[in-house]
Amino acid sequence: MEGASWLAALVFLPAVGSPLLAHRSFGRFPFWSRVVLSGAAGAALISFSMTLLALTDRAWGVALVATLAAVLASGLRVLLRGEPATSPPEPARPDRTERIAGAIACIAVVAALLATLGGAATSVDLVFFWGAKAQQFAAARGIDLEFLRDPAHQYMHSYYPPLVSNVFAFATMAAGRFVWTAAALTFPLTLAALAASLPGVLRGLTSARAAAATSALIVATLACIGSQADIAGNADMPLYLFETLALALLLRPDAAGGPGDLLAGILFAAAATAKVEGLPFAVAAAALALWLRAGTPAGRAKAAARLLGPTAVALAAWFAFGLSRKLFSAYSEYGRFFDVHPDHATGVVAEIVKSIAATGRGLAYLIPLLCLVGSGRRGRTAAIPLGTAAALAGFLVFTYLHPAGDPAQWIGWSAPRVFAPLPVLFALAAACGRDA
Amino acid sequence: MGSALLAALALWHVPWRQGLARPHSLYDHSSAAAIAPAYALLTAAALGIPQGASVVVRAEPPDAVLEMWYHRFAVALLPGRRALPSALYGTFLSHEVWKDAEYLVVVGPKPSPAPGHLLFETPQGSVWLRER
Repeated sequence: MEGASWLAALVFLPAVGSPLLAHRSFGRFPFWSRVVLSGAAGAALISFSMTLLALTDRAWGVALVATLAAVLASGLRVLLRGEPATSPPEPARPDRTERIAGAIACIAVVAALLATLGGAATSVDLVFFWGAKAQQFAAARGIDLEFLRDPAHQYMHSYYPPLVSNVFAFATMAAGRFVWTAAALTFPLTLAALAASLPGVLRGLTSARAAAATSALIVATLACIGSQADIAGNADMPLYLFETLALALLLRPDAAGGPGDLLAGILFAAAATAKVEGLPFAVAAAALALWLRAGTPAGRAKAAARLLGPTAVALAAWFAFGLSRKLFSAYSEYGRFFDVHPDHATGVVAEIVKSIAATGRGLAYLIPLLCLVGSGRRGRTAAIPLGTAAALAGFLVFTYLHPAGDPAQWIGWSAPRVFAPLPVLFALAAACGRDA
Repeated sequence: MGSALLAALALWHVPWRQGLARPHSLYDHSSAAAIAPAYALLTAAALGIPQGASVVVRAEPPDAVLEMWYHRFAVALLPGRRALPSALYGTFLSHEVWKDAEYLVVVGPKPSPAPGHLLFETPQGSVWLRER
């Protein structure tokens, strides 16, 4: 019962994001896409509100956090003043391909659910730090400095971006208790949210048929990788949701402009405050989108502010907290930024390939890549997912080059998860139309 | 076609053989199955160890790597108690670090001689009120 109330508390996420997504300019999205986009924006705003309250030494409370987040969502509407109303594509009866794609996505979500309930997909990081921090922070009604400073708790990674532990703490405060099974079930729940929303977001980019097929491919890919790489309850699935929706938004022909850029920017902020690798993803995707756009320098500067401003503000609040409490000053755990071991490069790449090949027999990475190759020459917009994939892969290899010792074990348990956005990006690139 | 194959691969990963039986822990069939007994035992121990108490988790036979993981589990699964580490980063810590622990959770067979008063045991291990 407590598990149900913990999960039910997540309804606050779309509720606090809805003042923004209720704006008429977002009418272009079908109902379920709008609900999930509200939830994703709501997660970013709830986490930001909790970080702000911690920064100003105010105790967390469910009503206070939800109200502050909803006020922020309403305030963001000001940036959309004058934006015209839009409407979703004409509803049409799904054809056979769409129905089959929908059924495959449902099966993938059910598989993720059964694997999680069966104890076959849970991440140890849930117990080691995501859940442990959330539980402690909920009890302390804030970010517990004493707990994080305990030398025996060094493995809690106090500098890790705060979104997942904040949102889990929020649900814990609302439910009255942290529920481990419920936290693990955020994997199939978030996957279901992606399955429900992505076809509607991609509908602006491609046909209803192709949108459904691409969504099914992405959902099945993430179900396969997520179950086999044990991501249930950690920050990976929320990260995939934010990244996939943000990139799908950027690929739409109507992406350029206030509403599209602002929403993608909020989702990038969610990604960057969910996991460290969300930041290079956001920066690369936003930079590529801006590079491909025509327009005046002033217009591009405005778009850059919308795309990356929320990430800058969210991370500034988090680092202000870390610096002011002398808790952390950087993403510092793996040594100095340029202190790398290039002689490890061959071994690192070989280990990455090995660990990816061992996850779903490598098919979860290979099939989307084959879809991309089979789709032929893509339009210019495909440079956004493909360039982002290259930047993310480069960042991850660069990160793995930091340890002085053999990073094989680290790569073995992390690479299948952190490289999972790549097949998603291949599938999105395959959905990009050819240039006229 | 590719989506269907990937969905089938995801289904293949479901632990069908356990049927409708509820697993002992969230980790029974995951790649971390080796620490599933500690999860199940500490979840049970949470009902018997009072709030505010101090506790240490040991492996039987002693194992510095496992005990480091068990300490992390104890921090998460025994909220409100003070979990003291017996090992960090694969090395045993001095007995001084955890000598004041009021409760002892032993993952594995019952230790001999008995380290105190046995509170309860499960197939995964035992929980003791220590004699100090």
